[in-house]
This record gives sequence, C-alpha cells and structure tokens, in this order.
Amino acid sequence: MPVVVRRDILKGLLVEDAMRRQVIRAPQDMYLGQCVNQLIKFKAGALLVGDKTGCPVGVVSKTDIVGAFYGGLPIAQTLAIDIMNGPALTCFPDDELGGALDLMRKNGVHQLFVQGAEPCAVVGTLSYGDVVALLYRYCRACPQGAAGLTGSFDRTQFLTVRDAMKTCAVSRGNNSSLAEAIEELTTHHSGAVLIVDGDGLPSGVISRTDIVLAYHHGASLEAEAQTIATSPVASCDENFLLTEAIRQMFLKDLQRLFAYAKDPAHITGVLSLSDAAQMRSGSCRACMASRIIVSSY
Amino acid sequence: MYARDIMSPRFHTLSPTNTIAEAVGMFHVASKEEGKRVFGLMVIDESDRLVGMLSLYDILLFVQPKHIHVWSEIEDLEAQVLFGELLDRVKSVQVSDIMTTSVVTVKPQTHVMVIADLMIKRHIRRVPVVEGNALVGIVYISDLFYHLLQKFL
Repeated sequence: MPVVVRRDILKGLLVEDAMRRQVIRAPQDMYLGQCVNQLIKFKAGALLVGDKTGCPVGVVSKTDIVGAFYGGLPIAQTLAIDIMNGPALTCFPDDELGGALDLMRKNGVHQLFVQGAEPCAVVGTLSYGDVVALLYRYCRACPQGAAGLTGSFDRTQFLTVRDAMKTCAVSRGNNSSLAEAIEELTTHHSGAVLIVDGDGLPSGVISRTDIVLAYHHGASLEAEAQTIATSPVASCDENFLLTEAIRQMFLKDLQRLFAYAKDPAHITGVLSLSDAAQMRSGSCRACMASRIIVSSY
Repeated sequence: MYARDIMSPRFHTLSPTNTIAEAVGMFHVASKEEGKRVFGLMVIDESDRLVGMLSLYDILLFVQPKHIHVWSEIEDLEAQVLFGELLDRVKSVQVSDIMTTSVVTVKPQTHVMVIADLMIKRHIRRVPVVEGNALVGIVYISDLFYHLLQKFL
C-alpha cells in the first residue's frame, strides 16, 4: 500500500504557532467612519462584526470599505452591517498552518479568524504576514538560513525576490482618478496600484489603505490618484535575497515591495507578503527542495 | 467635592484633521505650557464638540511596526532610520484616523469618588468634563490623586 507523505516546511506547524491573539471587533451598528478608524489604528485588514450579543455575524474588510467608497455610500451614515460579508471565514488553533493557507488562497482572503471552543468565541486572527513572520523567525534560527548569515556566502543557494514575485505590477498614469485606480485594483485583485508619470517612470503607489484613508478624509472619487499616492515607491532589486526583502517589509511595515532589474525606474514585478507566504518556504533552496511528495512502499 | 472643583478649565485640543506630525508638535507645546508631561489631548470638531481623545499610546501603537515580535530577534537594525522612514510614510494619516472615539466623559457636578472609580475601572488617566455639548475642562488623575491626598496630609 503506497503511503504518500507530503514533506512541507509548514508540516507540524499549527495555526496557534503563528496566529495573532488580538481580534479587532465592531458592533454591527458601527458607522463606516469608526470602522476605518479601527482598521487604521490597529493596522487590521478586517474587522469582525458582532451582533447585539457579541456573536460574530460577518466581516468588514478594507476591500469592502473601498467598495463602499466606489459605490458612493456616505461614510457617516452607512453601518458595518450594510456592507459586511458573512459569515467570517474561520479556522481552529490546532488546524495545520498549511491547511489554513490553502483556505485563505481558495477563498481569496488575507485573513482568517481563529475560532475558540465556544460557538461565539473568536480567539485570534491569522494573516499571510503572520505566517511569513513565523517562517522568518525559523529562518533566522536555522544555521542554513540566509537570515542569520553575515559576510560572504554562496547566494545561489538562496531564494531571491524574483523567485516569489508576481511579474506584472498593476499601474495607472498619474492623471488617473481615484475611481480609475479602484477599478484597476478590483479588476486585477491587486493590493496596490503603481502610479507612473508621463514617461512611464514610477512616481508613487496607491494601496487599499490609502484609498480607505482618502474615503475617511472626504476625498472625491474624481480626485487625482496622484494626490493620495505614497512616494517614493518602496522597491528593491529582483535579485535581492527573499529573506532580506521580507525583513525590509517587516521593519518598514510594508505589505509589498516593487521589484526592478538593475534600474529602479523600471519596475518588473511586485512581491507581497501573501506571495512570500505562498512560497511556504524559508530563505534557501534546500527548503524548496524539501517540498516534494515522497512515495514509499 | 465635584469635577468642577478639581478640573483644569484650561486645556489644549487637537483638530480631527491635524496630521500625526502636527499632533506630536501639539503634545510638545501642551507639555511646555502646562509645566508637566501631557499624555493625552482632546479632539474637538469645528463646532467645539468633543469627538475623541488622542494619547501618546495611540501614536506609539500606530508607529510601531505590526510584526514587532520579529524585531526582538534582530540585533543589527538601525531603529532611528527605520522609524524615520515609517513616520515619513504616514504623513497622510490624520488624528481622526487613530484617535479613540468612544470617550468617557463626566459632568461638572460628577462626584470625585465617581471619577476615581471610573479611572480605576476603565484604566483611564484623564476625563473630559462636558456640560451639554460644551467641553468645559479636564480632570487628570494626578489632580484627583493630590486633591484627595491633601485630606490625609
């Protein structure tokens, strides 16, 4: 009888090893303005919406807020319950981390809520960033990992940004409106839009967070996207070690780094924390090679 | 003894549209003018209505990287440079984006023991005093403490 064993760097790791034990909640009658306040204040990707008894009934994510902005809903009069998605996607603390990542990818979400023993108890959250942070810490502790190495070493043994990045970055011209930037984000299911000037050179980035903030500040959908863009563009060479790029993202609190080939003016792709998490690997190729399916008889 | 007896009728405020950098400057000015460290400022709108509170804790919470636990294992980072870059990127963030909106307030006629109870149970160090819709003062935990302490000295 053949036994298939999937060797995986995440094997044996549980959700509770990576999860964040903080849940940002919102009552269902919370106005969107306050929802934005909570999302920004706690740097959360989504709020868990509860009913009058506190039981979870849905989720309001930054994507939902962007949708409300695009739909012209008044931020001061729209409630969380009006735009929330439900029910919240959950996992358990003792679920395998790999399975939780699969669930996130399958459903196109960036965060899972971690369900406690009681029906209404939510004890934490799990995001792609939490998984990458755990892998990064393992990498630093591993004698083979690039994260802990100093001085000269064989760089070919290690993963680079190019191994994990998406090769097409979504971009718009700097005279585009906010509405057009939102359309671009939605069409490509992207987390950020690169803003390029008349010569095609990158001049800024607009993320969902920037759009949520613009909504909160009363910006118009017709406003120029350039006015809310973050500049300069956070980028690195595509031959940068993956572990170094991850470190930069953590330290600078970035969700993504744009990648270029030698010249920062020519963006070739984008590396996000979700891309890094989906690699399910540490920093070296040995980790990648270990992800084979072994059949034994 | 009531809130009106121990409150500071002179107080500094922020606007919801102030940037975080401006708020940091206001904390500095308020501390200088009050002659003591000010850890929290009230936020009022254009109608002078109290809409929130911003504390140093709120600002620190916001500027620290989300995955802070990774930092504890990184010994070779230049924190000042990184914080500088981080602060530079949050220039667009305003006071209204990170302030605390559910503010506990008292009336001028609220008894000091009720205020002390509120501060202990809710872990708060300052309480705005509101009369109708108007903000009339603020009670600091230090004022309350030393006022009560005087009875025993």
